Amino acid sequence: MNALLPEWLNPGPDEASFREMLAPDSRWTLELLAAQSRAITLRRFGRTMTLYAPLYLSNHCSSGCAYCGFASDRTTPRRRLEQEEIRKELAAMKRLGISDVLLLTGERTKAADFDYLRTSVATAAADMQRVTVEAFPMSVAEYRELAEAGCTGITIYQETYDRARYAELHRWGPKKDFLERLDTPSRALEGGIKTAGLGVLLGLADPQEDALMLYRHLRHLGKTYWRAGLSLSFPRIRPQTGSYQPPFTISDHLLARMIFAFRIALPDVELVLSTRESPAFRDGMAGLGITRMSIASRTTVGGYSDTESGDRGQFDIFDDRSAEAFCKALREKNIEPVFKNWEHAYNGPSSAEKS
Amino acid sequence: MDSLHLGSYTFSSRLILGTGKFSSSSVMLEAIKASGTGLVTVALRRFNREQPEDDLFTPLSAIPGITLMPNTSGASTAAEAVQAARISRELSGSPFIKVEIHPNPQHLMPDPIETYEASKILAKEGFLVMPYIPADPVLAKRLEEAGCASVMPLGSAIGSGQGLATAEMLRIIIRESNIPVIVDAGLRSPSEAALAMEMGCGAVLVNSAVAVAGDPPAMAEAFAEAVAAGRKAFRAGIMQKSGMAVATSPLTAFLGPAS
Repeated sequence: MNALLPEWLNPGPDEASFREMLAPDSRWTLELLAAQSRAITLRRFGRTMTLYAPLYLSNHCSSGCAYCGFASDRTTPRRRLEQEEIRKELAAMKRLGISDVLLLTGERTKAADFDYLRTSVATAAADMQRVTVEAFPMSVAEYRELAEAGCTGITIYQETYDRARYAELHRWGPKKDFLERLDTPSRALEGGIKTAGLGVLLGLADPQEDALMLYRHLRHLGKTYWRAGLSLSFPRIRPQTGSYQPPFTISDHLLARMIFAFRIALPDVELVLSTRESPAFRDGMAGLGITRMSIASRTTVGGYSDTESGDRGQFDIFDDRSAEAFCKALREKNIEPVFKNWEHAYNGPSSAEKS
Repeated sequence: MDSLHLGSYTFSSRLILGTGKFSSSSVMLEAIKASGTGLVTVALRRFNREQPEDDLFTPLSAIPGITLMPNTSGASTAAEAVQAARISRELSGSPFIKVEIHPNPQHLMPDPIETYEASKILAKEGFLVMPYIPADPVLAKRLEEAGCASVMPLGSAIGSGQGLATAEMLRIIIRESNIPVIVDAGLRSPSEAALAMEMGCGAVLVNSAVAVAGDPPAMAEAFAEAVAAGRKAFRAGIMQKSGMAVATSPLTAFLGPAS
C-alpha cells in the first residue's frame, strides 16, 4: 500500500534528530527538550499567545469516520446556521473579544456545500479580522474563490498517515480517499490560501510514526509553496458522541514531548492547542512551545448565542474557562493574550509571480 | 547637537524600539520610557479599535514626545503593504511607514522586489518611507533613489539574536548611503548595538532583545547607553587596527634611498 505514497513521505536525510527527540527513552530528556523549546519559542514568538475561537456552521456530514460525533450514521440532530444566525453567533463571539474565527463544517453535503461555505466566509470576513476554515477538501478553483471571499487559512487534518488504519476508520463517504485528502493542503496553497494547518488525531495510530509523517508533510509544503504559512495542531481524541475507544493512549508526557520536538525541529511553525486539553496542560504549555490557542469554545452548532443548549458537540471541551479567566491565567504566566494579529488589508489570495 | 534626522523630524536618541513580543502593554510602555527613544514602531495588525485591552496604538500614542512609525508586518505583497500604509496614516496621523513585507511567514525575510515597489509608491504619496530590507547595497541605493527617508537592512534574521551576521554588506551600505542606515533585526545584546553604531549606522531598531529580556526596562536602558556610546565612538574617530604585515626583505629596496 505504501508504494503508492508520494515520494516526499519517504524518510529524508534531515530527520534523524527529530526522530530521536520523539522517542521517550532518548538522551533528550523531557526537561532538556522543554528548555530548548522554551528558548526558541521566546526568541521567535516572544511573550505572546494569539487567540482564536471555532464556529461550527453545520454538523451535516457525508462521511462515516468511526471516531467522530458528527459521522453520518449518528443520531445527532442535524442543522446548519443561516447567514443571519451566523451574524448572531459572530456578534456573541465579538462580545467575548474574539476577532479571529475558525469556521467548521462536516464533509461536503447538499445542506452545507461550497456555495454555502463561501457565503459564510464572506459573512464572517465582514465582521472578523481573520477568518480560517476547517471544512471539506476542495478544488484549486474553489480555494481561490474562498480566498477571494476572505478566507486566509485552512485546517485539514489527515487524521492518520497509517493507510491501513485510515481505510478502517473512514468507513464511507468522500473522506475515504486517503490520497485525495493528503493532497488537499497543496491544492489550498495552490489556490492562494495563505496558511495551511495540519494535524493528526492523536490516538488513532502510532503517534511517533504519524509525527514523522507530519514533519515530512510540513517540510514538503514549505519547500513547494514557499509563501505558505504553516501551522500544526495536536488534537487528542476526546470523549464524544459515538463513544469510540482509541487504540493508542497519548499521555501528557508524550504529547508534551511531541510539541517540544516539533518546536525544535521546525522553529518557525505555528503550534496550536485547542480547548480539548485541560486547563493545567494548556497553561503549562503556554510559553514552552505552543503559540496559538482557542478560547471560550463551543463545539455545537449555534453554541455561542444559545449557551443553554444541552446538545453535545463534535467533542467534549476540557478547558471550559471563560475568555476572561483564560486570559488572566496567561497574564499570570507573563504572557500577553493577543486577540487581533491580522488586518483586512492582508486578506485575498496570495499572489504567485504573474508572468 | 548630534541628532538623527528623518524627513523634517529630529530625534536625539538613535535607538528605535519595536513593540511586539512584550508580556504586557505596561511592560512595553515602561521599556519605552526607560530607553529614552523618540521613535517606536507598531504593527497595524496590532491596532485594535474595538478592544482597548488588546490595542497597542492608543497606549503608545498617549506617551508624550513619542513619534509612532506604523509598520506593515503581515503584508506579503506591495499592494497589501501600500493599502496597510494608507490605513495606518489615516488611523495614526503619522507620516512614517516602516515597509515590512515578508511573504514567507516562517523565516520572515523581507521581499526585496515587493518592498521596492511599495516604497516607490509610498514615497510619491509623501510618506516618510523606512523600508526593512535584506542587507543588499544595490537595493539600498535603489531605495534611496526612490525617495526613502532611510533604509533598514537586517543584521540577521528577525528574532534570531544572531547579531551583525551581515556586517560586510552593512559596511558597504553605510559607506555609500546618503540617507540614514538603520540596522533592524537580529541584535541580541547592547554590545552588538554599540558595534553597529561604531560602524556608522544612523540608528538601530531593537525589539526581541528588549521584549524577551528578564527585565525589559533595564535592558532598554542598557541598549540606549550602548547606542549612545557607539555613536560617540564613531564620531570621535576609532583608531585603526594594527597587524599590517611588513615584509622582512623590503619590497621597495630597488628604489634606492629617498632623496
